[in-house]
Amino acid sequence: MPEAAQKQVEYIDIKDLRPLPAKKKLPRHPPVIVFNPSKCTGCSTCEMVCSNRNVDKVAPASSSIKVLRNEEEGKNFAALCLHCREPLCLEACPTRAIDKDDEGIVRIRRLFCVECGICTLACPESAPMVEPVTGKIRKCDLCEGDPLCVKHCPEGALHFYRGKAVGWIKYLRWPVQLLSFLLLVVVLVGTFCYFTAGVVSLPCPTGTLQNIAATKHIVFASAGAALVLIVLTILLGRAFCGWVCPFGFFLDLVGSVVPKFGLPKFLKSRMIKYGILGGAIGGAAGLGFQPFCTVCPIGSICRSYGVSGVLQGAELAIVPAIASLELGQRRSWCRYFCPVGAVLALAAKIGLIKIVIGAKQCKKFSCMQCADICPMGIIDREALREGTAPKIPMDECILCMRCVDTCPYSSAKIRFRWQKTIPGEVKAWTYS
Amino acid sequence: MKMKSAKEIRDIMTASGAHSCVECGRCVAVCPMAEMYPNFSIEMSPRGVIKKVMMGEDILADEYIWYCTECNAGTDVCPAGVSDRDLIKGLRQLAIQQGTVKDIRTCTCCGELFAALHVMDFITERLKDEPKGYLEMCPACRRKVYLLRNA
Repeated sequence: MPEAAQKQVEYIDIKDLRPLPAKKKLPRHPPVIVFNPSKCTGCSTCEMVCSNRNVDKVAPASSSIKVLRNEEEGKNFAALCLHCREPLCLEACPTRAIDKDDEGIVRIRRLFCVECGICTLACPESAPMVEPVTGKIRKCDLCEGDPLCVKHCPEGALHFYRGKAVGWIKYLRWPVQLLSFLLLVVVLVGTFCYFTAGVVSLPCPTGTLQNIAATKHIVFASAGAALVLIVLTILLGRAFCGWVCPFGFFLDLVGSVVPKFGLPKFLKSRMIKYGILGGAIGGAAGLGFQPFCTVCPIGSICRSYGVSGVLQGAELAIVPAIASLELGQRRSWCRYFCPVGAVLALAAKIGLIKIVIGAKQCKKFSCMQCADICPMGIIDREALREGTAPKIPMDECILCMRCVDTCPYSSAKIRFRWQKTIPGEVKAWTYS
Repeated sequence: MKMKSAKEIRDIMTASGAHSCVECGRCVAVCPMAEMYPNFSIEMSPRGVIKKVMMGEDILADEYIWYCTECNAGTDVCPAGVSDRDLIKGLRQLAIQQGTVKDIRTCTCCGELFAALHVMDFITERLKDEPKGYLEMCPACRRKVYLLRNA
């Protein structure tokens, strides 16, 4: 740009008034209105109060909350803005009129809004409402932190609060993982594996299975000791993988540092680990020794320290080779390949506890922090996007409790298998 | 067909006040389509559409009326009080009646013609990483599905 023109631009101060959308830090206490459908009577008081604030008269058409009624099934529901973590309306707005502030409230800046209605089309539940005649967009701004609809709801079906994550579980998990890493790798060298099973060791169930297949006779003492871990897994889920496994800790450390590039599709099958397990047991029966245990990364890392476990050539390469799988996805070894995890997964399938996500206060598609943070990637994004509670396969869950830790609305919980905490599955409405 | 719809087009022009257009170009200056579509041109802008109608071209078969987002920006700034939104809406309605419609998205649930295809393409492009299943449905049906799933 020529100097004169530069000067002129500075003089008249031509700038884009609209700030570009930038990645902001998540609000620590995101505001949220929780709607309880069982209490709602469909009286539309919220609509009236809201429109009174919007246009200074009672005109439900210009309110930013909408009461939906289904007379057939006698259901009422209020559609209102959920103030998403990553708002789709913000991304779609052509004039960059939608803004999310530090408190987590998504607002329309009226100065830039041209009322094109693209936010309504981009929102999964069409929360920005279009006024029928004038075409004005009405969107909830939480009445600047003190919503009128909540105040005036006669049945108390709306409830406003600021979310708060549990937050302390990670301060418990990391020390436990570090401690068990030191204990299994440095102090009790070679424990957990099959051949250096000392007095205190819990023999690896996979190793024991291979041992039985290889030697063709059962040593009841070692098999019984191996069952301890299985029983613990039935009681607690795969907590071993998330809290104790030394290689899992190593992977967690590596995974928090390296960037992710994704894995090729043929590797992304959770059945591979059962295949490896079957192959290892079959191979043990045929070969007469434990084939997987020679390359097992958990075993290698356990045997790597101290005099007794001098690493052999192949073993030395196995830990970094498998740790490099972290470049694909977090814990990709645990997800798809680990046969030790496969045995525990079979046990956890009939386990007693489960993780439930998607209680009434769950914000589903507007939040999805649990799906982002889950190291095993088992939280169904599609279900969350559709607004239903995702089913968590407990055989894949390593019970690291990251989801419980991060959920700001405390809607991720640990429950017993027989407890019912989420509404039953509703058949999706389809055109017929 | 052109002769048949001439009267209706004139009615729409009168109703939206497009006859009083002074061609100042303010609606083009504020039009959000300029930021939405890289191929934005004078033909696509409300001013161009009005000009075409004035010249008696076959506007209903024109693809450029299917880009508009039906926003209020042009109406807000117009010094002559032309409602661009009503003009485009009326023209689209007429095109649907005449059967010359090409670029409009219908709701997969109720069959409502709820948005122009180019607008939906723009939204789909903007929301690259997101799933696009719900974009096939009109806002009313989205809320209906939402109600049935959650209530």
